[in-house]
Amino acid sequence: MALSLFRRYPMEIILVCMYTYLMLAAPGFATLDNQMNVLRNITMQGIIAFGMTMVIVSGEIDLSVGSGVAFSGCVTAWVARALTDMLGPWPAITIGAIAAMVILFLVGVLTGKVRQHFNMPTFITTLGLLTVLSGAANLITDGFPITSFPFQFNFLGAGILFGIPFPVYIFAAVFGFVYFLMNYTSFGRALYAVGGNLEAARLSGIDVWKTKTLALGITGVLTAIAGVLIASQILSGSASAARGWELDVISAVIIGGTSLFGGKGTVRGTLIGVLFLGIIVNGMTLLNVSEYWQLVVRGGLIIGAVLLNHALDRSTVKH
Amino acid sequence: MSAIVETQGLTKMYGNVVALDDFSHKFEPAHIHALMGKNGSGKSTLVKMLSGVTQPTSGTMMLNGRQVEFKSPQDAFEANIVTVHQELSLVPDLSVTENIFLGRLPRTRTLGIDRINWGQARLQTEELFTRMGLNIDPKATISRLSVGQQQTVEIAKAMSFNPTLLLLDEPTSALATKEVEMLFGLLRNLKDQGVTMMYISHRMSELAEIADTVTVLRDGKHVGSIEMAASSLDTVVDMMFGDVARATRPARSTDISKKNPILQVKGLTRAPAFEDISFDLRRGEVLGLAGMLGAGRTEVLRAIFGADPHDAGEIIMDGQVVDTPAPGSMVDLGLGYTPENRKEGGLVQAHSIHNNLSMASLSKLAPRGIITKAVEAPGVAKQIEQLQIKVDSPALPVSSLSGGNQQKVVIGNWLNTDPKIMFFDEPSRGVDVHAKQQIFQIIWEQAATGLSSIFVSTELEEMLEVCDRILVMKEGRLLGEIDPSKTTLTELYTACMEGL
Repeated sequence: MALSLFRRYPMEIILVCMYTYLMLAAPGFATLDNQMNVLRNITMQGIIAFGMTMVIVSGEIDLSVGSGVAFSGCVTAWVARALTDMLGPWPAITIGAIAAMVILFLVGVLTGKVRQHFNMPTFITTLGLLTVLSGAANLITDGFPITSFPFQFNFLGAGILFGIPFPVYIFAAVFGFVYFLMNYTSFGRALYAVGGNLEAARLSGIDVWKTKTLALGITGVLTAIAGVLIASQILSGSASAARGWELDVISAVIIGGTSLFGGKGTVRGTLIGVLFLGIIVNGMTLLNVSEYWQLVVRGGLIIGAVLLNHALDRSTVKH
Repeated sequence: MSAIVETQGLTKMYGNVVALDDFSHKFEPAHIHALMGKNGSGKSTLVKMLSGVTQPTSGTMMLNGRQVEFKSPQDAFEANIVTVHQELSLVPDLSVTENIFLGRLPRTRTLGIDRINWGQARLQTEELFTRMGLNIDPKATISRLSVGQQQTVEIAKAMSFNPTLLLLDEPTSALATKEVEMLFGLLRNLKDQGVTMMYISHRMSELAEIADTVTVLRDGKHVGSIEMAASSLDTVVDMMFGDVARATRPARSTDISKKNPILQVKGLTRAPAFEDISFDLRRGEVLGLAGMLGAGRTEVLRAIFGADPHDAGEIIMDGQVVDTPAPGSMVDLGLGYTPENRKEGGLVQAHSIHNNLSMASLSKLAPRGIITKAVEAPGVAKQIEQLQIKVDSPALPVSSLSGGNQQKVVIGNWLNTDPKIMFFDEPSRGVDVHAKQQIFQIIWEQAATGLSSIFVSTELEEMLEVCDRILVMKEGRLLGEIDPSKTTLTELYTACMEGL
């Protein structure tokens, strides 16, 4: 009984155990302030991770999201600076944010098209884009953060609404959106089919390239949203924001049980993965574990989670 | 002359199934012995036992008069028996030399360092090629060679072990006519050097050209062995098939031949796979597309379905001209296709039976793109019942089902789209006898309700069993039409091999 429960919800149970331990052992972990702090810290990467789940389930990957966040923050700040005098701060910021979303959506679509027509793995295209977008962010800002936002803009990324950090609402909304897409739409079904067996999906009349391209595009938009939130949090567009996030995001997706080979994974699992990483980082900090050790533990976690999922998969097959 | 291989009462059982039954025969040295028989006749089992892949249940094998027992392929190998399998086993990105000496490249010591002696390796390859009369660059990368050349390298690799017995499992199945010529030249050359060969092929026409003797197996039994020079191909075909009892199709209530065509294909061409294919499929008809492996049957079906492009020709479906067919739009027009390999093209193995049964009908079930399990459930339940798919729960992965039930899931996935036309490409492959009959039953029942279908199978007796009308293809061309009720299996086989 207990074993079959563990087989079905391995990461959930480990997460609950870890959470309970930290409640008891880590000074300050159990306070409401700290809980909100954890939530706030995971939202940005979480928003992207939900999109990344779709991309990885469809059998592709997006390594460019870290630079994408910085880039979209810079675009928003740059547009805001250019248009504030003419339109006022809020319309200017809105236009900037929409511009960032549109650009990253198109970049995602382009990645999909390159995959389709030149058979270029998205691993390579987005690895290139990681550098391209970083360079573009620096070009826009000329290497210095653009501080063109009014301080009220800070609310979006750092404000509190009904006692909960504002970005958490966006995080929840994105989760609901992606959950719906993956479970209640034919697009979601197509994502799994395309990632599980491309040829079978194609012969079933599914537009496999549209499916993959759309997943990449949506992830682009979500990356831009995270970028705007970060820009709001630090009240500037900075080219050095979110450096290395792509690996955290992908780690969360993998810890959540999504297979890098495609066709298998859930956005619920990714939510667990995101919470897992957020809580462990916060807990270790509170326990005074050195930052270097934190890195070692986080890396080990990814390997451990994948090993565990594989072992459970194999034992389920036997049963 | 004493026999090189002699078997006595050789028998192989898989559970209760007899794969090879009491096989006793002597194979003369320095001959090319063809092994003939339909799929499942036991010829591969015989080869597997000779190459040590499986062990006989009873009976003995003698090699050069000494009794041998092969517990592993290594044992057979050490007795100088080498097998060339149907699938190439070369590493595409390595050179010819490296492939031939894979894992046993000659070594030398220089200054106390053990290193590969490349010069020696190339020299040995060149010697080997000269002996075999080959003209291939030992430094060439395998992937740059033609399939025929690759097959030759495969045989050269086998020859580098100096075998006394060479087992060849369908070495020509992937080759073009010219490459076959080259290969046969090589085999004759080897025979002159005293090598004995056993040769499995489905291509009848090759027998007269290359084989000295033909040993025919049917349902695991040794039907007989004959000298090729003294007999005709008809004799061999008769031996292969014997008297076949044919399942009878239920009588049709309407005369199919008077129905209007629902699908018209005119001059469909994609060189070199197929050329100038024209035919009509009538409403409610089960039309067969017969031919040997590589005749272009699957290629034609895939082109009509839009899975692959075509160069020229016209496709008219239900009176509507289809300019550029694509799977998505053809599904919308009412065409379904169960591909020849269900693992690669028909199913997502890791996904549930439920999801696999509604993969093709997603756009029909969810016109606005929003879908729930509840919307799909009726279709899933309907096919499980109608096709008698044995499942514990539709939530289980489809890979948990037997071959026959998996095939039914593929068919059910398509029936859920309410197709007007179905292409059944090898629906009976890897399916047990009972499930096979059920699948044919499904095809007939669907035809009775007005579904038109095209049926392709390598098993020709199935074609005669299932189809209202059969078109014969050979080397990418349509040769003509056959009425299955007036045709014997031997006649159909000869038509596919030699033309009408």
